[in-house]
Amino acid sequence: MRARTAASVAVVTLVAGLAGAQAPPRWVERTKADVRGGKGSFHEIVDTVVKGEQVQIVRVEDKWLFVRTPRAKQGYVFEAALSNQPVTGGGSDFLKLAPGDASTSATAASAGAKGIYAEQYARQKGFDYGVVRWVEDNQPPGNVMEAFVKEGGLQ
Amino acid sequence: MRRGLAILLVLALAGCGGRMDVGSVMSAAQTMITQGPGAVTGAFADMDEPQEIELGRAVTANVGSRYKLLRDPALTGYVAQVGNVVAARSERPDLRYYFAVLDAPEVNAFAAPGGYVFITRGSLMLMRDEAMLAGVLGHEVAHVALRHGVEAIKAQKRKDLAVLGLQQGLRFTSAAPFTQAISLAADTVAEQIVLKGFSRAEEEEADRAGFQYARAAGYDPAGLRDFLAALVQRGAGDTRTATFFSTHPGTEDRMKEQEKLLAAAAGRGQRNPDRFAKAVASR
Repeated sequence: MRARTAASVAVVTLVAGLAGAQAPPRWVERTKADVRGGKGSFHEIVDTVVKGEQVQIVRVEDKWLFVRTPRAKQGYVFEAALSNQPVTGGGSDFLKLAPGDASTSATAASAGAKGIYAEQYARQKGFDYGVVRWVEDNQPPGNVMEAFVKEGGLQ
Repeated sequence: MRRGLAILLVLALAGCGGRMDVGSVMSAAQTMITQGPGAVTGAFADMDEPQEIELGRAVTANVGSRYKLLRDPALTGYVAQVGNVVAARSERPDLRYYFAVLDAPEVNAFAAPGGYVFITRGSLMLMRDEAMLAGVLGHEVAHVALRHGVEAIKAQKRKDLAVLGLQQGLRFTSAAPFTQAISLAADTVAEQIVLKGFSRAEEEEADRAGFQYARAAGYDPAGLRDFLAALVQRGAGDTRTATFFSTHPGTEDRMKEQEKLLAAAAGRGQRNPDRFAKAVASR
């Protein structure tokens, strides 16, 4: 009887411990990293995390981590962008110097400095920056990519 | 004294490169004068991803001045879909890649830092199926994923002060020097990828990596080998292939290396000739 009670207590304690366990944290070690809706850079950006920010790992899928961000958004981040050790935060001088909101934009990690410097360069050289915009505007979205992979028998 | 030394140093460095104009040299010298010797160390020891993407945009604008962009959304979308499938298997699958078709009859393909990949209409006309396209795009994606374009900047460090600053770290306190640095870096990279090509070692590394990307994506990894074979068959004497042979040396050796990789790889993947023909051959 005493042994059964002890076993029950142990099971309850174990279950309670598991339920209360926090998902392991990771820290962003790149200037910025995009959190995406799928495992691929062609999926939409749901949030952007910056160097030093902590994210919670929900699950691991291959080399992609499904995380919860400090802003309670969930999505995929590539493992190389995160560290399992705390990282000191620090903004990018490059992004801070960009006019406007390039240092805080939710899409700044993908957008670089939003083309501000490149557009200045193009203007100085007499190049058509519309070429860059056209290329960036004519890329396939995530749902198109998924269908393309499936139809082509690819992985 | 400090001003004089800075200007002398900048002029000496610029003289090695031979591509800086006087205004650029004086402006770079001014940066050293106002920010001191410490300005040449520190902050940008490694180009981070936003900087690399910005450089890629500038290079794309430069490429757009050398080639006419083929503004065909359907064809561009198809090429981008194949490219993204192989890029997802690269070392940098989280980088956003952008693919573009250049309206030129010559056979060529090249990649800029930050994920900007270009292929000419002439290259597409030489292909028979999607596996060949995946092989070529895999090779170009590898240049991006392995940061070969960024390495091209490093190779110029003794020749060009502003590029040196981008690599070793000018601690910029205003946006103007970065604009200047990215301008010179874009000129360097554009010239490298369009006219000179990467080193033989980098080309071989990109071949091996591209082979693995295409294979992992489910394509027949013989695509690049078949493309190179088609090129050799056309011959270096053809005006449409001359640029490719000059920027991608050792084509027959590269084919042999691909043969070795194929011999060691089990199984084959998709070629998708019908989908390729529908998207490309009719244009």
